[in-house]
Amino acid sequence: MLALLAVPMVALVTASSWEELVRGARDASFWPALWLSARTTFASMALVVLGGTPLAWWMAAREGRWVRAVEMIVDLPVVVPPAVVGLALLEAFGRNGLFSPVLAPLGLHLPFTTAAVVLAQVVVAAPFYVQSAAAAFRRTDADLLIVARTLGQSPAGTFLRVAAPLALPGLLAGAALSWARALGEFGATLLFAGNLAGSTRTMPLAIYTALEADTQVAVSLALALAGAGALLLLPLRAVPAMLARRFGTTARRWHRGG
Amino acid sequence: MAAAQACAPDSPGADPPVRLAVFAASSLTEAFGDVEGLFEAAHPGVDAVLSFAGSQTLRLQIERGARADVFASADPAQMALLAGAGLVDGERAFAYNELAVIVPPGNPAGIESFRDLPRAERLVVGTERVPAGAYARQILAASAGLFGPGFAKAVTDRIVSEESNVRLVRAKVEMGEADAAIVYRTDAVGGRVRVVPVPAGLNVEAEYVIAAVSGGRRPAAARQWIEFLGSREAQEALAGRGFVVPGRRGGG
Repeated sequence: MLALLAVPMVALVTASSWEELVRGARDASFWPALWLSARTTFASMALVVLGGTPLAWWMAAREGRWVRAVEMIVDLPVVVPPAVVGLALLEAFGRNGLFSPVLAPLGLHLPFTTAAVVLAQVVVAAPFYVQSAAAAFRRTDADLLIVARTLGQSPAGTFLRVAAPLALPGLLAGAALSWARALGEFGATLLFAGNLAGSTRTMPLAIYTALEADTQVAVSLALALAGAGALLLLPLRAVPAMLARRFGTTARRWHRGG
Repeated sequence: MAAAQACAPDSPGADPPVRLAVFAASSLTEAFGDVEGLFEAAHPGVDAVLSFAGSQTLRLQIERGARADVFASADPAQMALLAGAGLVDGERAFAYNELAVIVPPGNPAGIESFRDLPRAERLVVGTERVPAGAYARQILAASAGLFGPGFAKAVTDRIVSEESNVRLVRAKVEMGEADAAIVYRTDAVGGRVRVVPVPAGLNVEAEYVIAAVSGGRRPAAARQWIEFLGSREAQEALAGRGFVVPGRRGGG
């Protein structure tokens, strides 16, 4: 299994030389695609964290049928193929979609725009963050939150000063995983946002498009994206572990103090 | 062995049919679907398995060792690349097509003629690599003579997406997401779209070529398929889907 996971990546690296990698980076499609991927994933991550954190907090604090139903909805984009997500987004926000009577009078046309790229990324990536954050919130000691309230913290203060710092390693791990998923988003983007250089052609779409013109450029672009993923993986593994150690001890200290 | 062969006519399936892998341009989807039925009726021992994509995608797959027996390209240039690499053998033209503008049935942008194309808020074409996209650009480049030098730019400024095969281009119009698209005339025949013709002086003749893939596992069946395309019934099937076939060329 380990070999199966590693071998394709090794093959990708050996298929390209340093010179070819540089050539790929100099290809006209490289920087616009990288810049677009950077901008869109930054925007989608901001939306995922801002919208996903309260949802995860709500999911962690409650039990029962409703929570299970919400969890299923959250997981849905993970289990359906991205192409289905893309079609569903078109059916919802397309010109003939469910929300077109609301969006059209406002002059909002989502398909084929950069906003559509962000929306597709949010839908496919959010579940990874929300589930990870909910699990992290569930692991926080409920007694600590009660103590914080009895010591005069408001609910918001309790969340910001106690719950969020305690859950931080889980939140960060979820955000990183979610970002990686957004960065790799392909199927939903292709269907919902289309494929145009500069506005909707993110790195994965640029690789797909380059493949039809020049396979070597495609390999170089793929390698650059894999490299970005590997760079992401290091902090993804190291930071939460580090934080867990640090905040773990803080939590224990609080326990003793309380 | 001999007994099994003797039984074959009475119990179909006892003798597994020869699987013939036909790679064909997306625009041939329905036409080759029709031809498949006719071919298999004429050659009961062969099961043709069709695979459709942009010609450039199929060319790439064959270059990378995909197991194809026959390749039908919407563009002789893609075939020439394979012929140059010695990967196909005996290519020949078997059908002709031209380009058309399509709009959704409601025609939201009010495009009544080719001249109205800049009215499209959202135009979709193929990438430069897919034949339909290359032909579309050829037409726009030639349009300056008829509609002035700014026309092509006014149109290309409206392009919101470049798709990797012509059926994805058509789908954007069918779903109503694009106001107009440039596809083959034959794509408009089966689609839920309205056709706006390209002026005759601007249109291109898209030549469809077919060849056997060298090193294919079913060379005999591949030859049969290619020869069958020249038969009257196959030519009628192609013409029925709007293609111009060699015998009728020049007539329309």
